[in-house]
Amino acid sequence: MARLSRRRLLGLASAGTAALAAGGLSGCGSEVSLSSDPHELVLWLWNRSASPELLAESARGIPGTDFRLRADYIGTTFDTKLRTSLAAGAYIPDLTNINSNNSLYFPAEDQFLDLYELGAAELERDFYPWKWSLGETPTGRFCFFPLDIGPTGFFYRQDIFERAGLPSEPDEVSAATRTWDEWIELGEKLRRDADAGMVQTAAQLFNQFLNASPERYFDTADRPLYEQEGSAVRQAWDLAVRAVQTGVVTGASSTTDQNAAWVSGRTAGQVEGAWWSEIVVDTAPETAGSWRIAQQPGPPGNSGGSFVAVPRTCKNPEAAFAWIRWAQSPQMQARTFNDVQLFPSTPESFELGVMESSDFFGDQDPLEFFSEAAQTVPTTFISTHESKVGAFRTELGLVSNGSKEPERAWEDAVTEVNRVLRKRGVL
Amino acid sequence: MAATTTATVPATRSAAAPVRRRRRLLSYWPQYVAIAPFYLLFLAFGLFPILFSIYLSFNEWDGVGEMTFVGLGQYQYLVADPRFWNAVSNTFIIWIGSTVPMLFLALLLAFLLHQSIRFKGAYRVAFFLPNVTSMVAMAIVFGSVFSDSFGLANGFLRWLGSQEIGWLTESWAIKLTLVLMVIWRWTGYNAIIYLAGLQAIPTELYDAAKVDGASTWRIFTSVTVPMLRPVILFTVITSTIGGLSLFTEPQVLLANSGGNENSGGPGEAGMTIVLYQYNQAFTQFDFGYGSAIAWALFLIAAVFSIINWRLVREREGLADRRTRRAGR
Repeated sequence: MARLSRRRLLGLASAGTAALAAGGLSGCGSEVSLSSDPHELVLWLWNRSASPELLAESARGIPGTDFRLRADYIGTTFDTKLRTSLAAGAYIPDLTNINSNNSLYFPAEDQFLDLYELGAAELERDFYPWKWSLGETPTGRFCFFPLDIGPTGFFYRQDIFERAGLPSEPDEVSAATRTWDEWIELGEKLRRDADAGMVQTAAQLFNQFLNASPERYFDTADRPLYEQEGSAVRQAWDLAVRAVQTGVVTGASSTTDQNAAWVSGRTAGQVEGAWWSEIVVDTAPETAGSWRIAQQPGPPGNSGGSFVAVPRTCKNPEAAFAWIRWAQSPQMQARTFNDVQLFPSTPESFELGVMESSDFFGDQDPLEFFSEAAQTVPTTFISTHESKVGAFRTELGLVSNGSKEPERAWEDAVTEVNRVLRKRGVL
Repeated sequence: MAATTTATVPATRSAAAPVRRRRRLLSYWPQYVAIAPFYLLFLAFGLFPILFSIYLSFNEWDGVGEMTFVGLGQYQYLVADPRFWNAVSNTFIIWIGSTVPMLFLALLLAFLLHQSIRFKGAYRVAFFLPNVTSMVAMAIVFGSVFSDSFGLANGFLRWLGSQEIGWLTESWAIKLTLVLMVIWRWTGYNAIIYLAGLQAIPTELYDAAKVDGASTWRIFTSVTVPMLRPVILFTVITSTIGGLSLFTEPQVLLANSGGNENSGGPGEAGMTIVLYQYNQAFTQFDFGYGSAIAWALFLIAAVFSIINWRLVREREGLADRRTRRAGR
């Protein structure tokens, strides 16, 4: 073997450095798109936010175009990564999934194309109107195309309700809890006779009340509503506080505690979106057959559900929209449901008769329940500033663990939220 | 060697000198290229972000839109922000609460491991193991052990007949859980460092002490601890740095148990300075404020570094004087 001289070693090292620098510099060029292949569109998504089956088909070709779709799974801190690309103006995907926090992108809406200009309006009638309206920005541009939805209901353990001598069939439970007052009363009986909670935390109940309310934290002009007399936020707060005081809330705040509470039956219910079925199947498989879903008091809400958007730098917006149109048709949404259980945002999907329901809920068909619930979800507006109102939940946590008086906590929450909003220039 | 000849070049400058110097510099290019990778990466991922964060802290920026200059606005808000001061006090409580027992325990362990006992190697590996365990996996295990109603810790308390503790819901208990986590993870690491320091102490000193009839405790306090002083100082400094920048433990352990993401659990009782910085920058997308918090932390860390540095300097000065006196 030739002896590696010092000069030779340095030469090798310098060649390596030069290559590294050259590679780095070429990366610093004006590479806007992620793929240099002119016939490849790149979609950013996270696990289980699209059907792998459909993605595999799209990788061979997007129907009606000569483009192919490449799916890049981005994983955690999705928003940070997407925003970094958008801010840098480099390596931007041609399409990107965006979660239910799409209002976060309202101030940056010029980064995305208005899908109405690509002909989205003619598809509007295929979708639930409340979901469609969530995809519109406050200026009326349609930047976020509906993927899945999360119509909510009251999941409960039928066996535990029975044991406590409570109504236990879904229709009976729905009928017994027309109002939140009745729901709390039922919860008190559950606590007394079976020592179980109706929900895990006060903050969850607070969120779900607002998810089913046409009015939320802000009006469409981003003016705060929570301080007004009888505001929805205040009603949600009062309900959550009452649930804590009456022992209806289990108060399991960590994920470990919550999972254990569902497995053991210490918490016998949950108000959540349709997708929660998947969570409970994974968390507590041994409780199969004992869960049922009843209507929550008032109209059902929507919790979660995602969108797909087309950044303005998209290589070919027409081809991107052609893919959206194809992949989000009622037929394809039904297939997506069968593959990864994303609940369709197109009512027609349920009429095709191809969707496979789960038998986790005994003789009750969750598909039937939630597709019906989805029809009466109220239309609402989610402001971009909702990310800044976390103090309400923080203070509810303090009420829950008994370290603060409810009225004092409410005042502190309002003060804190206003302080943050003033800082961010909203107030 | 070339470097020494450079140093001996006379101060009188001819016109050819700068040219010669440049040529000499150029002749070293392979060396410069060889050290370049580190500096290039440092420039891109170290220096630039540091400088840019200074600039960011004088602006309001959501990470995508336009930046607006706000002068000292972020710092003004910071001074009056109760959440920031809550984070500062949490950080200090957890830092002091963990460092003092941890270093004491580590010293004790190191002293015991230094004795002639069997399976020494196995013990050393066992005590160091927590330090190389994945932090995320560890936080999940701790989450299970300290879970309120189903955890091992509360199960043990129930068995003792004592009252249960809301390890992950009550303000002081959250801090205690974090303290235990830090102690569990870093005691072994510090013990290994102490052990290295112990092995550097000449055995003659111990022998002399034994001949003089000193007890084990006396040997520990009069020989071991004074000889270990520089090592102890080193561990104090690293624990200060680690304690002030505590982040992963509360982030993973209390992920969104306060009803909000990355907020340190119920009532923000486990919110540390770095977690608050991360929360503001990457959950609230308020990069200007996140940067201001980072620089506030820098100031706090600087104050403690100066205190440490002065302690070291005084001690060294003392030692110098002593050796000088001895040499005389």
